[in-house]
Amino acid sequence: MTRIFSLVLALLVFAVAPALADEELNLFAWSEYVPQAVLDGFTKETGIQVNYETYASNEEMLAKLLSGAASYDLIQPSEYTIEALVKEKQLLPLDHKKIPNLKNIGKEYWNQPHDPKLEYSVPYMQGTVGIVVNTQKIKHPVLGYVDVFQPANKGRIVVLDDALEIVTWALAANGLGPNDVTKANLEKIRPTLQKWLPLVKVYDSDSPKTALLNGDVDLGVVWSGEAAILINEQPGKFSYTLPKEGAHMFIDNLAIPKGAENKDAAHQFINYVLRPDVSVQISKEFPYTNPNVEARKLLTPAERANPASYPPGNPKLATFRDIGPMSADVDKLFTDLKAKSGS
Amino acid sequence: MRQEHTSFSAAAGSRREPGRAGWLLLAPLILWALAFVVAPAVIMLVYSFARRGTLGGVVLEFTLENYAGVFDPVYLQIVIRSILYAALTTAICLAAGYPVAFLIGRAEERWRNLLLMAVMVPFWTSFLIRTYAWVTILKSEGLLNSLLMQFQLISEPLQMLYTPGAVVLGLVYTFLPFMILPIYSSVEKLDGALIEAALDLGAGPLRAFARVIVPLTQPGIAAGVLLVFVPALGIYAVNDIMGGGRVDMIGNIIENQFKGNARNWPFGAALGTTLLVSFAIAYFYVNRRQRAVAQGMS
Repeated sequence: MTRIFSLVLALLVFAVAPALADEELNLFAWSEYVPQAVLDGFTKETGIQVNYETYASNEEMLAKLLSGAASYDLIQPSEYTIEALVKEKQLLPLDHKKIPNLKNIGKEYWNQPHDPKLEYSVPYMQGTVGIVVNTQKIKHPVLGYVDVFQPANKGRIVVLDDALEIVTWALAANGLGPNDVTKANLEKIRPTLQKWLPLVKVYDSDSPKTALLNGDVDLGVVWSGEAAILINEQPGKFSYTLPKEGAHMFIDNLAIPKGAENKDAAHQFINYVLRPDVSVQISKEFPYTNPNVEARKLLTPAERANPASYPPGNPKLATFRDIGPMSADVDKLFTDLKAKSGS
Repeated sequence: MRQEHTSFSAAAGSRREPGRAGWLLLAPLILWALAFVVAPAVIMLVYSFARRGTLGGVVLEFTLENYAGVFDPVYLQIVIRSILYAALTTAICLAAGYPVAFLIGRAEERWRNLLLMAVMVPFWTSFLIRTYAWVTILKSEGLLNSLLMQFQLISEPLQMLYTPGAVVLGLVYTFLPFMILPIYSSVEKLDGALIEAALDLGAGPLRAFARVIVPLTQPGIAAGVLLVFVPALGIYAVNDIMGGGRVDMIGNIIENQFKGNARNWPFGAALGTTLLVSFAIAYFYVNRRQRAVAQGMS
């Protein structure tokens, strides 16, 4: 009898325990971007449970956030989405007093146009989009977009399945900046894309490294973090170059959306991931450029020398701005030319 | 004929209306359908006439421009391509699935269950995992290429993955069971005596097949065609994984309005509504034809 009683008691404790865990943090972030060890470490130190829900694009995040179906305490948008969210008053201002580790963020990440004083967002990771080449298959140098999209490379190219990205490459090849997205310029770059798209073998934003690893393609234009993984996994086989016509960077940030229920926990989490010993764990697993200069010091020389993670010469790069309703035009142009590009 | 007709309607009239207990039993299903079928369809219909919001989302102002967009040549070419791919997939599934379904349906009892099991076993594994398995088989340095090179049948790896052929293969692979199962259930009910009668009365095997077997299994064929064609039109994962994202279909376009750069929910809703309406029309057409065939035969 006592045994049954204690069993019931034990069950009750287990059933009630999660409800008793004092606090929860609802984190809505990119998939494959926050290491489990970081989440566990945070829970261990603060007792706050982290519920990590993931998305695969800024737009998917916006769709869920705006539907109001769930309440999130912390989101992880890229810079152009931060700009749009601030414009629409969808973010809460950060309390810098609660984030002393903010001092670890490199000074080049302040004064960015999307949030110059980091009032609403804190950089999480930064990356570039550049050219990755399997040097065992392609012996001549590939320095720019124009070198990638050559008829000789037909059927050997992987690119991101992302209309805005590809459009900005064509803008760069025509001497325009990544934010010169106007109807007139879209017409101007149409012939360039008409030439480029039939050469592409694979469109993949989620894991463009796969087609390169499998040997189905020999070069491509991909996220720097994907290229960094290739370079780490098969040293000497792959190279990474920022396109000579002009590259751009992206900054993924942590921000607190309007309606967050646990602002305190959100601030604590931001401060926690800004700690150098924590931040370096993220870098080890996802080798993008770490905006945390103190954390960079903890990397091995080899990791710091990876040209995809830390492009030599510290080039000054622009970010995307919010292009508002032009996004529909960009998408339509890309959809049209992709459909006409064969098959 | 006339007499047949009266007896048919008499049978229909004698069907009893469900009583209160019946309605009570039906309630969960009706509630489920209202909440998860009718309500979303109504929301989609309303959104399809709205304007797009700045961040995505919708602004409830009436407009028809989303439907104008559906018939824009840019999207129309993709709608047409999707229909062609879905039709080709359905045709191959029918050609490959019918003989299999027929054999299973006419097989001995103990074999029948085993064969049916073989058709269903793939469902035990996630659809995505099975699709990625095809990537492993078809890729340049994959199983099939190394096998062919081993036997010296080819000297260089064939480009199989990321081609339109790979997309069709993936679609046929995914939907074949949905063709086999309904045809099987029709074949199983097929009265063998009728076939024997046809043969006895001088019909050759081809004629017996075309004039007796096909009409009798027509409900299964119709169900199979619908079950393959409709989802094949809307699917987007197979094109992304096996087609390398090159062969956009209407499903990819809709997905992109919600989860991609386009951020145009109302247009996505308009595309979805158009598909739903075309499916409904196709369904009622097939249903009416089937009833006409059934009446013509009786």
